[in-house]
Amino acid sequence: MRERMTPMERMGAVLMGQKPDRVPVNPFILGFAAKVCNLPIGDLYADAKKSFRAQVLCAEMYGYDATPMYGYASYGAWEFGGKIGMPYEAGQSAPYVIKHPVETPEDVDKLEVPDPKNAGSIPISMGVGKLCYENRMPVIFQCGEILTTSAMVAEPARILSWMIRKPEVVHKLHKKIAEYFVAVADYFTSTFGADKCMAFTGGPVESNKLINPNQFATFVYPYMKEVHSKVLGMGVNVVLEHPCSDQNKNLPYYKMLREELGWRGKYIWVFGPETPLEKQIEIFGNHDIIMGNVDPPSFQFKDFEEIVALCKDNIERGIKNPSGYILGVGCELPPLAPPINVYAMMKAAREYGSYQ
Amino acid sequence: MEKAEILKGLADATVAGDVEKATNLAKEAIRAGIDAYEAIMNGCAAGMNVVSEKYEKGDMYVPEILCSAEAMYSALEILRPHLKASKVEVPKKVVLGVVRGDIHDIGKNLVKLMLDAAGFKVIDLGRDVPNEQFVEVALKENAEIVGLSALMTTSMVNMPLIIKDLKTKSPKTVAMVGGGPISPELAKNYGADGYAKDAAEAVKVAKSLVGGGA
Repeated sequence: MRERMTPMERMGAVLMGQKPDRVPVNPFILGFAAKVCNLPIGDLYADAKKSFRAQVLCAEMYGYDATPMYGYASYGAWEFGGKIGMPYEAGQSAPYVIKHPVETPEDVDKLEVPDPKNAGSIPISMGVGKLCYENRMPVIFQCGEILTTSAMVAEPARILSWMIRKPEVVHKLHKKIAEYFVAVADYFTSTFGADKCMAFTGGPVESNKLINPNQFATFVYPYMKEVHSKVLGMGVNVVLEHPCSDQNKNLPYYKMLREELGWRGKYIWVFGPETPLEKQIEIFGNHDIIMGNVDPPSFQFKDFEEIVALCKDNIERGIKNPSGYILGVGCELPPLAPPINVYAMMKAAREYGSYQ
Repeated sequence: MEKAEILKGLADATVAGDVEKATNLAKEAIRAGIDAYEAIMNGCAAGMNVVSEKYEKGDMYVPEILCSAEAMYSALEILRPHLKASKVEVPKKVVLGVVRGDIHDIGKNLVKLMLDAAGFKVIDLGRDVPNEQFVEVALKENAEIVGLSALMTTSMVNMPLIIKDLKTKSPKTVAMVGGGPISPELAKNYGADGYAKDAAEAVKVAKSLVGGGA
C-alpha cells in the first residue's frame, strides 16, 4: 500500500478515534535501537541524547510510528536511594538493581519520598522528554506499576513474602511510592504541559505467575487507582498501560479501574501475549486502544516469514477493535532480534493493515 | 503426640508457611524418636508436594510458596543434624543458576526449593553466573544435572554455549533449561535434555531424566 500519513499523523488519528491509512506500528523498541545504531545498550539508559537519537533513527529507518521513551522494569531502586547498574555487559538488556534501598521494615519507616527533580534516572528521563518536546513528540514519563516498583525498592522475594508476613509494611511502602509517582507526574506536566505528556505504567511483578488476583486487589489496585486518578486529574489524556506477562486474572481489576475512573482519557493497552486480543476488545474496545501483543521471543528466534504470519494474525484480530489498534509486541522487542524481523512487522502492517 | 499426627502436622505447617509450628513439630519429632529422614520425607517434603500441586493448579502463588519454604527450611535446620548416614540415600546433584547477564532469580529459587524438597542436592550458583562456572562445578561435584535459568532474551543466548561445553566435557550430565522466554522448541534447539515451564514441572522433568532425588 502507498502510505498517506506520517507516523505522527497516523498515531494522532488513532488517538482521536479516526482511521489512519494503515494500522500504526509500535514495536516497543528500546535496547534494539541501541544495537542498530552500534551503541552499547547501556547508552540507551544512561545518556538522554544518545537514547533519543538512537530511538529516532531506528524509527526513521524502519518507518514505524513510535516516538522515543525512557523507562525500565527496575525503576524505583535508584530513585529511592539504592544503586543500579547500567547494561554495559554481555547478556544484559536493561538497568539492574545492585542495591535495594529497603532491606528491613524499619527502612520503610525511614524511607523518604524522593524529589523527582534529582531522583535517580529522572534527570535522564527528563532529558529524553525535553528532546521529545523540542521535536513536537509526546513526552512519556513512567509512573508505575506500584508492586513492580516496590519489588525493586525492597527486593522481589522480600516484598512478596511481606505481603503475607507484614502486609502493613507493604501498604506503608506502596503509599510512599504512589506519592512519588504523583510527584513525578506533577514534575513532567508542570514542565511540559499535561497535554504534551503521556503516562507510561506497567510491570511484571503484578503478573499472575507471581501473585493471585486477590493480592492484586489488596496491594496494587488501590494505589494504582489513586495514581491514575491524580495523573488524569492533572490533564494527562493518554496512558500507555503495560500489564506485563500473564495478567489474565487481574483483568477484572483493570476493567474496574477504567470504570471507576469514568473511562476518562485514552488508554493504550499493551498486554502480554498471554491475553487474547478478543478478550481485550471485549473489555476495553468501546473506549480504549489495543496495542497488539505479538510474542516477544519469537522475534529473536523465528524467521521473517513466520514473523509476518504472526503479525498478520495479530492485525486481523486487533483491527476489529472499534476504538483503535496498533500493531505491537507484548513486551520490549528483544534487543538481539534479527533486524529483518522488525521489517517483517512493517511489511505485515503495510500489506494486511490497510484501512483504505 | 502420635507419630502420624506429628508428620501430618509438619506437612500442614509447611503448606501453611507456619514457621513456629514447623519448628516446634520438628523438635517434637526428634523428642518422639521419629527417624529424621522419615520426618523430612513424610513431613516437610510431603507438605512441599502439596504446595507444588497447588502451585500447578493455580491455588497457591509465590508469596505463599516463599512462606512455605521458610517453614520447611526452619524444620530442616532442626532435622538434618539428626540424619543417620546409613539411612540417607546418595542424593542426585543439581548445579543450578541464572545465566550470565541475568539477575532475575525468583524462578530459579523456586526450582531450588522444589528440588530440595524432592531430595535432590542442589548446588546453587546464584545469578549472573559466568558460563564456564556451570561446567566447572558440574565436573567438580560430579553432578547429574545442570539447570540453567534465564528471564532475558539477551541472556538466554548463553544457554546453548554452556550446554555445548557441558556435553563436550561431561557428556553424562544432563542439561535442563527454563525461564520466561524459553519454550520447549527453543530448549530442544539449544541442545537441552529437559525443559520445565515452572518449578513444579522441574522436579518431574529432573526425576524423569535421572531418577528420584533421594
